[in-house]
Amino acid sequence: MLIIEDEPELAASITDYLSGESYLCETAASFRQAIEKINAFEYDCILLDLMLPGGNGLDILQEIKHRKREEGVIIISAKDAVEDKIKGLQIGADDYISKPFHLAELAARIYSLIRRKQFNNTNVLRQEEIEVNLLAKTVHVHGKVVNFTRKELDLLLYFMANRNRVVSKTALAEHLSGDIADMLDSHDFVYAHIKNLKKKLAEAGATNYLKTIYGSGYKWES
Amino acid sequence: MTRLLNKPLRAFILYSLVVLATSIPAYYLIIDYIWRLQLDEHNQLVSKKTQNELSTLSLNDTLLKQSIELWDRIQPGTALEPVSQAEMRPDSIYTVLRPNKYDPDGYINRFRGLSTYFILYGKPYRLIVETNVEESDETIAAITVVTVFFFLLLLGGFIILTKRISVRLWKPFYRTLEKVQHFNLSRQQNIQFEDTSIKEFRELNDALQNLIEADMTAYRLQKEFTENASHELQTPLAIIRSKLDLLLQSSTLTNEQSDIIEQATRALSRVSRINRNLLLLARIENNQFADRQQIDLSGIVNENLLMLDEHLSNKGIEREKDIDDAIQITGNRTLVETMVSNLLLNAIRHSPAGGKIKVQLSARQLRISNSGKGPLKEEGLFQRFSNISHESPGSGLGLAIVKQVCNRYGWEVSYSYSQDFHVFTIRF
Repeated sequence: MLIIEDEPELAASITDYLSGESYLCETAASFRQAIEKINAFEYDCILLDLMLPGGNGLDILQEIKHRKREEGVIIISAKDAVEDKIKGLQIGADDYISKPFHLAELAARIYSLIRRKQFNNTNVLRQEEIEVNLLAKTVHVHGKVVNFTRKELDLLLYFMANRNRVVSKTALAEHLSGDIADMLDSHDFVYAHIKNLKKKLAEAGATNYLKTIYGSGYKWES
Repeated sequence: MTRLLNKPLRAFILYSLVVLATSIPAYYLIIDYIWRLQLDEHNQLVSKKTQNELSTLSLNDTLLKQSIELWDRIQPGTALEPVSQAEMRPDSIYTVLRPNKYDPDGYINRFRGLSTYFILYGKPYRLIVETNVEESDETIAAITVVTVFFFLLLLGGFIILTKRISVRLWKPFYRTLEKVQHFNLSRQQNIQFEDTSIKEFRELNDALQNLIEADMTAYRLQKEFTENASHELQTPLAIIRSKLDLLLQSSTLTNEQSDIIEQATRALSRVSRINRNLLLLARIENNQFADRQQIDLSGIVNENLLMLDEHLSNKGIEREKDIDDAIQITGNRTLVETMVSNLLLNAIRHSPAGGKIKVQLSARQLRISNSGKGPLKEEGLFQRFSNISHESPGSGLGLAIVKQVCNRYGWEVSYSYSQDFHVFTIRF
């Protein structure tokens, strides 16, 4: 994993969070450094800030795509202007996330991107007795189908991408409703979805992996 | 609105009308004066000639009497008669109106007369010579007809000349005007004015050119500032957020500390949103959403409602919708979506639990109502940060953005309160 980000503190936070997920992270703080790293190594995923000292992140993206490299690229940018987003995705970025973001959200995007790249979109995730088929969007517990709503499945994957991490309610709310989350007074809707998710898993006989952490959020333990 | 060249045209026409109108009495007085002068001279000549003729004839009394009678009969404009010595007067000139006996219709005619006294063969005589003068009304009528004819001639001439001048002389001006009208600041394309040999127009073009260049620079700087501000603010915000996320992972957190982190995270979300919305407002004002397209407004409203459905039911809010199908409007998709979602979120946030929301959409208007307790202060409702309440803190910019989007497309947004409902209406 290569993190191209000129802000050392942010790069450090990302590295810290992702290292716990057993990702190996390297950082590049300038345009030149980024090009050097890309020339020297291959990565599974590249996080790319658009405004860099010494050049524009979009040029790095162009370089990567020009060489027909396989890396997945997620643009991290403060420039949440629509044109930049469209331009980035047109050049061939796989995803786009605007600052400020929750680390859990970033981890979920990376997780999903790497899965897509590695298993060519036909992958199955396993957590002991729980089996998630990402292509068919089905969940089996002990070999039996459990019907989840789209949002419940979304949450399950989000937790699996952030296993053994505390995910705050705010992060979950923003993941589920996007921009409008902080306009809503209560985040009770998050609680409602999680309650249903837990109930369905328990009814199917799954172990309770999802722990409520008082005051802060939830944690998927495995 | 009148065209520039019509203004002097109107003044010219009015002026010539006044001049020609005053010329009518002037002409009349002059013509009448000349006329009278000429007739007086003529009458004088006739009188002199008569006296002369009669005195050279050397007639006796009887013959003279016969001659005078004959004279009176064959010279209708004159009257010669003997008078007593006492009746002798100095010569006099006069104007009289009386019927003309030779006029078959018996109209009143104007006559200019000379009454003169003279001595013929030792006896005093009076000779009256009268000549028909054109009546004043006839003179005036004739002059008026001629004047009106010339006025019409002038009028036609002015109009044709003005048109010619308009086309030729003002051509560079209208070209400049057209270019300025089609100028779009957000496109950042400089204008090249055509060269002109007229000093004023060249100065105008140069001044406009400078103004536009300054405008474009200011616009570019503002745009850059927007982007820089975004970057500068959002990066530290991203750092704080990531640090809070990391702090949350610490296994030694007490419940109290977790609470504090959660509260800080929430406040940070609000700051991020305010920042994002301020940037959005700046971008709208900077005209950075210039592209327009046909948008399916019914679709956007329905999608937004669907997305918010669970939040409605969580709060126990009843929903009533009356949305016409396939309502199309022209605008920028991002802006219209933002406007609709801001209005709907506003309605949900300010509805009491168990309240009601009504959404109506027709070709002419979008109306979103939510139940409330008492009307809001209308003043400043759509201004930035004016309606922040501590009970339900939002970004304080939602309605300002709605207003800004409406302004952009010439729509009219209004607020009213009726039957316990806050009603926001947008007329297209």
